Amino acid sequence: MIIEYIFAVLVAASMITFFTGGRSRQFARLTSLAIAAAVIIYSAYRFYPGYDGGYISTFSLTLSSYTGFYFSLGINGFTDLLVVLGSIIVLAALFISDRSDDPVYYGLILLTEVGIFGLLMSTDLFFFYVFWEVVLIPVYFLIGLYGGPRKDSVSLKFLVYTHIGSVFILLSIFTLYSYYYSEFGILTMQNADLLSTPFFATIPYFYKVFILTGFLIGFLVKLPTFPLHSWLPDSYEEAPYPVTVILAGALSVMGGFGLFGILYPLYSQIPSFFLWLLIALGILSLIYFSFTAMFQSNIKRMMAYASAASMGFVSIAFGSGILGTGNNGIIDLAGGMFQIFAHGLIVAFLFSLLYYIKTHTGHDTFYGLGGIYRESPVMATLFLGGLLASLGLPGLAGFVAEFSIIAGSYGILGPLIYLVIFSMIITASYHIWAAQKALYGPYNENLGQVRDLSRSESAAMIFMLISILVIGLFPRIVFPLLTGYLGGIA
Amino acid sequence: MITESISTVTGIQSLQYLYPLIVLGIAGFVILGLGLVTSSKRAYAGIAFGSLVLAAILLLVIPQNTYNVLSDSFTFNQFGLYFAILFLISSLFITLPSLKNISAKGDIFYALLLFVTTGMVVAAFTMNLIVLFISFEAVSIGTYVLAAFHKTRRTLEASTKYFFTGVVSTSFIIFGLAFFYQAMGTFQLGPAMAVASKPALLIALLFLTIGFGFKVAIFPMHQWAIDTYYGSENSVSAFLSTGSKLVAFMIMIKVFIIGFASMGEDVFLLFTLLAVFTMTYGNISALSTTNVKKLFAYSSIAQAGYLILVFSITSYAMWSGQNYSFIAINAVAAAMLYSLVYIFMKGGAFVFLNTVDKESPEFSDISGLARKSPALAMGLSILLLALAGIPFTGGFTGKFYMFLYLVDVKLWWLAIIAILNSAISVFYYFRVIMYMYWKPESQVLMTRSRAASATVLISAVVVVVIFFFFPLFPLLHGYATSLFGVTG
Repeated sequence: MIIEYIFAVLVAASMITFFTGGRSRQFARLTSLAIAAAVIIYSAYRFYPGYDGGYISTFSLTLSSYTGFYFSLGINGFTDLLVVLGSIIVLAALFISDRSDDPVYYGLILLTEVGIFGLLMSTDLFFFYVFWEVVLIPVYFLIGLYGGPRKDSVSLKFLVYTHIGSVFILLSIFTLYSYYYSEFGILTMQNADLLSTPFFATIPYFYKVFILTGFLIGFLVKLPTFPLHSWLPDSYEEAPYPVTVILAGALSVMGGFGLFGILYPLYSQIPSFFLWLLIALGILSLIYFSFTAMFQSNIKRMMAYASAASMGFVSIAFGSGILGTGNNGIIDLAGGMFQIFAHGLIVAFLFSLLYYIKTHTGHDTFYGLGGIYRESPVMATLFLGGLLASLGLPGLAGFVAEFSIIAGSYGILGPLIYLVIFSMIITASYHIWAAQKALYGPYNENLGQVRDLSRSESAAMIFMLISILVIGLFPRIVFPLLTGYLGGIA
Repeated sequence: MITESISTVTGIQSLQYLYPLIVLGIAGFVILGLGLVTSSKRAYAGIAFGSLVLAAILLLVIPQNTYNVLSDSFTFNQFGLYFAILFLISSLFITLPSLKNISAKGDIFYALLLFVTTGMVVAAFTMNLIVLFISFEAVSIGTYVLAAFHKTRRTLEASTKYFFTGVVSTSFIIFGLAFFYQAMGTFQLGPAMAVASKPALLIALLFLTIGFGFKVAIFPMHQWAIDTYYGSENSVSAFLSTGSKLVAFMIMIKVFIIGFASMGEDVFLLFTLLAVFTMTYGNISALSTTNVKKLFAYSSIAQAGYLILVFSITSYAMWSGQNYSFIAINAVAAAMLYSLVYIFMKGGAFVFLNTVDKESPEFSDISGLARKSPALAMGLSILLLALAGIPFTGGFTGKFYMFLYLVDVKLWWLAIIAILNSAISVFYYFRVIMYMYWKPESQVLMTRSRAASATVLISAVVVVVIFFFFPLFPLLHGYATSLFGVTG
């Protein structure tokens, strides 16, 4: 029940923030810090003594037994990890926010967190969808109210694009709901009922494909995967930095959660061509986004594509992990979920640092920057650390995920694995180039004096880098939750 | 089944069913009489408001079992009761906001409003086609005059267009009813009606669809609606696009679901085609407009498209031999829920225009509204979110059930079309929100119309409350059952 209380506090706090006036910044920061601390302590306390799958800490409130609507919450190893991630990302976003007197801004950020927590914790597809949709509204306002020069069109594009993706999820939920009634005569929206393999097996093949397609469209838009990504670079670029942190760190989590949290329980019923499609799209995304990232002159845009590319690993892991057998499959799937977590941490770290680079130098393009290591060594070094984490340097969190995905999927992908490796080489090269052009080399004298990170700023950033390092060195902190979750379903 | 005689009508038992109608009618005449004595608009509006509330209370206290009076020309059931209350709400909605813009002849305006409402309530409580027709005409004729109020070139043009198309639609209805009688041998709608002549029924279907389709503003019959909603006074537009449209919609539910129950295939093909065109036309046209009132007019057509999906659902369930009673009752309940939300979201949106001190404002005229009056901007945003079908508003609930039963009856392709339409509509509703929140403030002033602002805010609150009121659907399900349970 404790996690539900934390959620309730968050909902209340997000409402109160709108009325806190000039103190909204401190209020929001303190709230999100308290929430993050509470969530981390809770998960340490609940999950580390031992976790072997299934939902714990469930709560259910009957809304209408006739239509089978219950407001039910619960948490499992995987969602707990994502809730921790979400709370850290929102904390980071608030830490780099500098709109000292705008309660609407802070209120909207906390509302986004409410949406993310809600959709992760709902064990009922109705509220899963409701929260899924609700996340869009505060983000739309955040981009629209505080975004860059093209905010008008970009905020609408973000909203309409992702909304079109989401409505397909709704159709799939309807189909499940309707078939469950015709099969068992019970109206229910519970995950446990609608996403159970024996029930799903009774659905005619055509409608199985229909349901899976609907879910996939919705999730792949959010992930994002190659042909469904065009909202992403614009939104990431136009959004203010703290919102970009949330978009990259927390919104891509939604897509990953959709795959592993919603679709995975049906794994034995997913036709293999779907899985191959996911693998193909994942590889395409990896290659396409890596190449596109290489040719960006704006670092923010480059990082946006890099972030999308590394989510390609998630869909590869999902497809090949289910196709795989035994330990390889489990390593693959756990690696995919680990990648969601690691990617969230890394992009949050990178975009936060990029924010400092942008505010301290006034630039976030390659020609504007150059050799800033000379003036601000701490900032440059930390950014280098982020870039190395993002390209998958051993010892950092990203490597663990990519390594387990490649090791696990090798047996399934066969020679296709070379494409993955190839894209990793591209990824490494443009990350290094970025470091070379922006951080090292001759100093761009037009910049004048550049202030380095202040003590509190560097403390926060070092803390984030250390957590990436710790998780990279001791993946055992995270893996038991994931394998426990997988074991609970199999 | 003519078991009741005149004596039962005069008996106190039956008379209580007619109290609401009597109250409304008498209040209408009182206002007309009062017009000779005083010209205080407030007095007229007060009486109209009071009598509407009183009629609503009287409706709530009458027994809720199905009951026929006046030789079956009136059938009181929960379905009718629900819609009667909706119609009263839609009239209440504009009573106070219209005060500001009705400059002369207020007595006639409010008296007409009450007479129109009387017609609506009669339509709610009958399963007899002749009575339905007469009440529908009472509503139409009254609204022709209402549309012309506030006599300017624009309202006259609006009213003229409305009048001429309305008259044409009336003749279609008459024709359709004649053929219906020929095919069925009765004007009384009821379950399990015997069909004497299928071709005649087919002609009746076409004619009645065209006739009633005009009023609901279904695609090929929608042209008048844009000009009339756009040209009329704001609160009259609100009334035309909520009350008057829902009367026709309710009559269509009675006629096409009960009367044409045997024609599953034809009703399905016809209405699916119309629904697809109506939704798509409304949404696509709304994409390019920059006038707020025109936008609401187009969105009103798109919403009509979602409403008439109910006929596709029920007729397809019948045609394909699925679990008809389960699906049809649920679909009608979904339509009832949608109608309720629709009154508040659409009515509130039109009434909002009364707070802007300009005839038919463009988007740029309401830009920066969030800084001028945050509450009003918030209220309108909630209504627009509801129209777009975003969660935590009743608009989501309405669309949710409608599309759910569309999938339930296995019309997945129609559900995809509908849901994509709804997703596209997000674009133009959010464009208005964008103007209100992050465009520079416009020079256009806001009027200090407290009635209109209050109406907008109240509808916003109601729309949100409907989402959280989960027992509503089971309740409506019970009400919808009474429609199918009639023994006419």
